[in-house]
Amino acid sequence: MRQPQSFARRNAPRPGLIMAPGRVRFVLWSLGALFFLLIVRALYLQTVQQDFLQNQGEARFRRTLVLEANRGVITDRNGQPLAISTPVQSIWASPEDMPPVPPDKLAALARLLEMPVGDVAAKLADKKREFVFLKRQISPELAAEVMALGIPGVARQQEFRRYYPAGEVMAHVVGFTGVDGRGQEGLELAREKMLAGKNGSRVVLKDRRGHIIEDLAAIERPRDGQTLTLSIDQRIQYLAFRELRNAVELNKARAGGVVVLDGKTGEVLALANYPSYNPNNRSALEPEMRRNRAVVDLFEPGSTMKPFPVSMAIEAGKVRPDTWMDTKPYMIGPATVRDSHPKPAMTVTEVIQKSSNVGSSKMALMFAPEQMWTFYDQLGFGRSTRSGFPGEASGRLRNWQGWRPIEQATMSFGYGVSVSLIQLARAYTIFTNDGGLLPVSFTRLASPLPARPVLKPDTARKMREMMMSVTQEGGTAVRAQVLGYHVAGKTGTSRKLEGGRYAANKHIGLFVGFAPATAPRLIVAVMIDEPRGGSYYGGTVAGPAFSAITAGSLRILGVKPDAPSNNTLIPLDQIPEIREDA
Amino acid sequence: MIVSGARRFSPVTAFDEALLWALALLLSISLVMVYSASIAYAEADPATNSRFFFLTRHLLFLGIGLVGAGAVFTRPTAWWQKHAGRLFLIGLVLLVAVLIPGIGKVVNGSRRWISLVVLNFQPSELMKFATVIYAADYTVRKSAKMHSVTEGFLPMLSAIVVVAFLLLMEPDFGALMVVMAIAMGILFLGGINLRIFGGLAVMAAAAIVLLIVTSPYRLKRVLGFMDPWEDPYGKGYQLSHSLIAIGRGEWFGVGLGGSVEKLFYLPEAHTDFIMAVISEEFGFVGILVVIGLYVWIVRRAFHIGVEAKKLERYYPALLAQGVGIWLGIQSFFNIGVNMGLLPTKGLTLPLMSFGGSAMLMNLVAVAVLVRVDWENRRIMRGYKV
Repeated sequence: MRQPQSFARRNAPRPGLIMAPGRVRFVLWSLGALFFLLIVRALYLQTVQQDFLQNQGEARFRRTLVLEANRGVITDRNGQPLAISTPVQSIWASPEDMPPVPPDKLAALARLLEMPVGDVAAKLADKKREFVFLKRQISPELAAEVMALGIPGVARQQEFRRYYPAGEVMAHVVGFTGVDGRGQEGLELAREKMLAGKNGSRVVLKDRRGHIIEDLAAIERPRDGQTLTLSIDQRIQYLAFRELRNAVELNKARAGGVVVLDGKTGEVLALANYPSYNPNNRSALEPEMRRNRAVVDLFEPGSTMKPFPVSMAIEAGKVRPDTWMDTKPYMIGPATVRDSHPKPAMTVTEVIQKSSNVGSSKMALMFAPEQMWTFYDQLGFGRSTRSGFPGEASGRLRNWQGWRPIEQATMSFGYGVSVSLIQLARAYTIFTNDGGLLPVSFTRLASPLPARPVLKPDTARKMREMMMSVTQEGGTAVRAQVLGYHVAGKTGTSRKLEGGRYAANKHIGLFVGFAPATAPRLIVAVMIDEPRGGSYYGGTVAGPAFSAITAGSLRILGVKPDAPSNNTLIPLDQIPEIREDA
Repeated sequence: MIVSGARRFSPVTAFDEALLWALALLLSISLVMVYSASIAYAEADPATNSRFFFLTRHLLFLGIGLVGAGAVFTRPTAWWQKHAGRLFLIGLVLLVAVLIPGIGKVVNGSRRWISLVVLNFQPSELMKFATVIYAADYTVRKSAKMHSVTEGFLPMLSAIVVVAFLLLMEPDFGALMVVMAIAMGILFLGGINLRIFGGLAVMAAAAIVLLIVTSPYRLKRVLGFMDPWEDPYGKGYQLSHSLIAIGRGEWFGVGLGGSVEKLFYLPEAHTDFIMAVISEEFGFVGILVVIGLYVWIVRRAFHIGVEAKKLERYYPALLAQGVGIWLGIQSFFNIGVNMGLLPTKGLTLPLMSFGGSAMLMNLVAVAVLVRVDWENRRIMRGYKV
């Protein structure tokens, strides 16, 4: 700088001073300094700022893709599909990376997606978002049309939509998945882990137009969900649903439920509720329809409980099937126990056949409350069946220490204790399985699970014989008989509890039975809720449905008739309605 | 001591071979990097539709540029001095012409191109060259009056103001900055009175600030450059992606062809932001090599000027250094923009970026530089020029 300054002080023109060495050096060094500045800046960006810049870069290019696992198929015990995943596509957009969409393309997009143009524009408006769904679960064909519009930043994604071929028939057992593909109801929810499998992932670099450039990490492959084979037999399920619907409609009932169990394994062969819903189109779904009544609803089982105190008395050797009992009405404290068709005396078999409150309560009172509680507890009352079904009710069995004698008496004919239909059907396995209580299973079993012995096989056999009389002439459920087979069972009619009081005109009609009675294969429990078609007695409202379901199911399963000579049924119009207490 | 370098480079050959090799290296890198940076755009854009679209054009421009440079090399420096005024006038006429709708073509809001059937020409690139030729001539002519405001300074000032006005009409702020740097640099080297120079520098700085503040377009660019991470999807989009590219390069880069930023993230990857792609693919080493080549060329230009001056060839001396200032300051501006040191200007990287007019005029300028050196060597050997 010395020379330019000295130069500046001179006023005289000096051509020789063009490009004074000092000025040249100054300009050259200045340029050098600027380049040095660039190098320092580059060094700063590539060392100090490197992490920050690379993270910013990754935030823009690096994407973790989910490789969706296929959800497992749900089938019935014979491999018939009950829930399958069909490929669909969802349209999404990345507003952040999108140039403005021309109005004509926007309109075409909205038309294809059947959405108002304004809605589509609103979804694309937030330029900070990098992912927004425009429409989910459309057909691959429609998605192809959308992609053909060629709008940059609009992409599709493969998804699966659950389809339920059996529709409303299986709705309550199978349940359904939500739009996110996760189980929301039924076994779809209960077995979520097994069905869902495990999604894989893939970490990739993407260019701005969404093409994958390279994988940044090893691809984690998805593990598909497993196939869930239910214990349900779809043929029996269809039959059960159809007959239940008929029964509910015929009796103008509010609702109804059916449980069909394999009497030797405890597998649920059918479980139906009515009303039901279509899981494939849930737009009109009301909570009322969604409830799996047979599993989650509790009711007082009424006379269908009577075989249990009777079996307890036989097991203890206190009575035999032909023991005569005094069945005149009697008083416990201020309350009178009476039958609707009083007879001064009945055999133990007749107590079952005619559904005598007096007889069954007298047998119950032969035991201490603790003994009776223990017996009921062993049958699984007051406990969940642990079928794994979501929302399963455990029922109510009060602790014996608070029992008064009248309560113990009413509990023998099914009041003061509440159960679910599946619990009730399951308890009947002690009769079909030679005294051993079976666990219920919604999945097909390779071999039966160990049963819990409750009765001696001989007691169970005696009970089967006694319960056969219910469907024979003079029994409460002649309508439940089945051509070619002996049928055993028990009717029940109970008043519904409403706000702690028994309603006068709201009943539940029940029939729980099994067949063939001599070598039981099936347990069928039918519950009709609030029948208002004239009669409300279990034998009348539930008996015919039981008969139809049992007859059809035995035929479907090819069970050998145990009463081939019994080829005539008592005509229904000649069957006197034998009422039982409600 | 840089100036004393003249002693070390004794002319034994007809040409400055080191300069020519540096140039060849720079042009080779340019060829590869323009192709690398443009492949994705060229392939994906329906208008170009071939991955070679920009490469073939770049080759064509290089060819035209080299032919032009050959032709320019045949002109003695005295010829340029004789026609300096005329060239400057042609430059002005073209700058006016480009502003006339129908002749000038608007791209991205700027009217910078004159359409010539198949190719477009950018008069501002010619103006940079004309400024070197004219400012050197002016300085030599008026060397006796460099202390005078009215005779030495005002004529040049008015010429600069006219050019500035025309460039701002386009607008092309970047070209204006380069033209001003060249003119002021040559005046400074030519011995202009420091007080006058100081006054001019202050005025120029004030004018630049005023121009930035009064134009929302320029202000936006300046603000975007101050903190690109404040609005990385709007104002700071281009710069943030350029910085990411540089940060991804680390020491040795991700390798040729490995740039992710060039895959539609970084706009203008093969033109104004080619340095970002070079940084990403070749890292700090790549930056050092490219900057090193520019430093070498600038340094040679200044040495050639110093040698010419020793031979009392003042006009060629100023020409050579003028070319040095041009290439130096424009590459600094461009790389500075890429690295976020300077606001975005729309300037190419000389001898590197894709762009026909810029490449042609850069090569022509280098041809003049080589001619000055060639003449120096002839005279030193006792030949006539």
